[in-house]
Amino acid sequence: MASSPPLWRRAFDAIERPLGDALASGGRSETFADAVSLGLHLRRRVEREVERRTRRALHMVNLPAASDVRGLTKQVTELQRQVRALSHELEEARAGRDG
Amino acid sequence: MAVHLPIAPDEIRARVDRDVRRAVRRGRNGLRYAAGTSRPAVGCTPKDVIWKRDKAELWRYRSDRRAYAPPVVVVHSLVSRSYVLDLHPNNSAVKQLLAQGLDMMLLDWGVADAVEACNGLETYADDYIPRAIEAAREAAGTEDVTVLGYCFGGVLSLLSCARHPEMPVRNLIAMATPVDFDGMQAMTGFVRRGRLGPGEMLDETGNVPPEAVENAFRLLRPTAEASQYATLWQNLWNDEFVDGYQAMAQWTRDHVPFPGVAFGQTAQGLVRENGLLTGTLRLAGEPVDLGRITVPFLNVMAEHDTIVPVAAARPATGLVGSAEADQLCLKAGHVGLVASRTAAKVTLPRIAEWIKQHSDRTEPEPSEE
Repeated sequence: MASSPPLWRRAFDAIERPLGDALASGGRSETFADAVSLGLHLRRRVEREVERRTRRALHMVNLPAASDVRGLTKQVTELQRQVRALSHELEEARAGRDG
Repeated sequence: MAVHLPIAPDEIRARVDRDVRRAVRRGRNGLRYAAGTSRPAVGCTPKDVIWKRDKAELWRYRSDRRAYAPPVVVVHSLVSRSYVLDLHPNNSAVKQLLAQGLDMMLLDWGVADAVEACNGLETYADDYIPRAIEAAREAAGTEDVTVLGYCFGGVLSLLSCARHPEMPVRNLIAMATPVDFDGMQAMTGFVRRGRLGPGEMLDETGNVPPEAVENAFRLLRPTAEASQYATLWQNLWNDEFVDGYQAMAQWTRDHVPFPGVAFGQTAQGLVRENGLLTGTLRLAGEPVDLGRITVPFLNVMAEHDTIVPVAAARPATGLVGSAEADQLCLKAGHVGLVASRTAAKVTLPRIAEWIKQHSDRTEPEPSEE
């Protein structure tokens, strides 16, 4: 027979269960969704503004900003995709020749 | 005068002895856990990579008793690590299924980065899965394979089998696989309500970051982490429990980025339009009709699944065109289907039984003496 949980655990569960249910239902509410989306939009706006200002300051002293690095990363990614597509073509050509 | 104690002295001694030993182990395990020095090794079952394309890899697990054919190719989800299926030597779905004599393979997607951001659902359904199935069939020397899709891997398997009914698939199993996304209100609320466009959830790599996926799971039960810590404290004296707990805790915090284009298609076609259920989903300009799946089909659902509730998974049985479409609704949670004591005792043996009934025995039955 399994022993019953200790007293502290029963007390914890007695609090956690209703609290968890309430928080989970709050998390599914329209108000919470509105608050999170508003928060995210605000954060994006602040990030864009900070980025714009720091970029201007860094460019003034001839330093690259995060946006420049991002641009380069995009180009590298595009190159990687092209290499991948070429190696797929090569693989298929090889398979066609062998098979 | 003799004193009568309510508990016998021997029993008191045994209890004190047990509690002291537990306290010592609790202290030792607690220190190890806090210091992070006893991280369990995950995904330990020996395997070989038998096929690779970009970051996708097909693994074949080693076994000295493959008693059934064709092989079982597990297609994993895009948002979590596949080692949940081979979590810990004492808690490994793969190991359990190998022990049943099945030839187990697993299609792992790796960790998506900026290059994978442009992968759409068709990349998986039309390119990776058909090629991996072909490789599996060749490696095993069989005419076909059994496909087992878990969670979103089940969605990908359904899409692939529906778009390519000519694929050499003998049986298809969808485990905890959503098809009615209206039944997944808790997980999909933000995208469904249109407050956030799919593009707004992407990071600079063009993918949905793992933290966003983790937060979505966390919202299902915000106190789950506290509850898990309480369970850990309660069982900290138990070495086996602590090992298993650490492996599971590591997995639940170890999500992978969701490729951006595939996420956009999921948000629009699957969640907002509920395209799998309504039949309105189109990939590469063509409609997806699950009715084109005619192979024997098993829909495995978990009764206590809060991520993919039964309501979201059940309609798959009626949507496929298979003459033989079975369903199993098991007493487990989403992860518990594959990694738990229930998995070992109930869910995996029942799934293995179905697979065996739909496979060929390649070695003679052991004689009964």
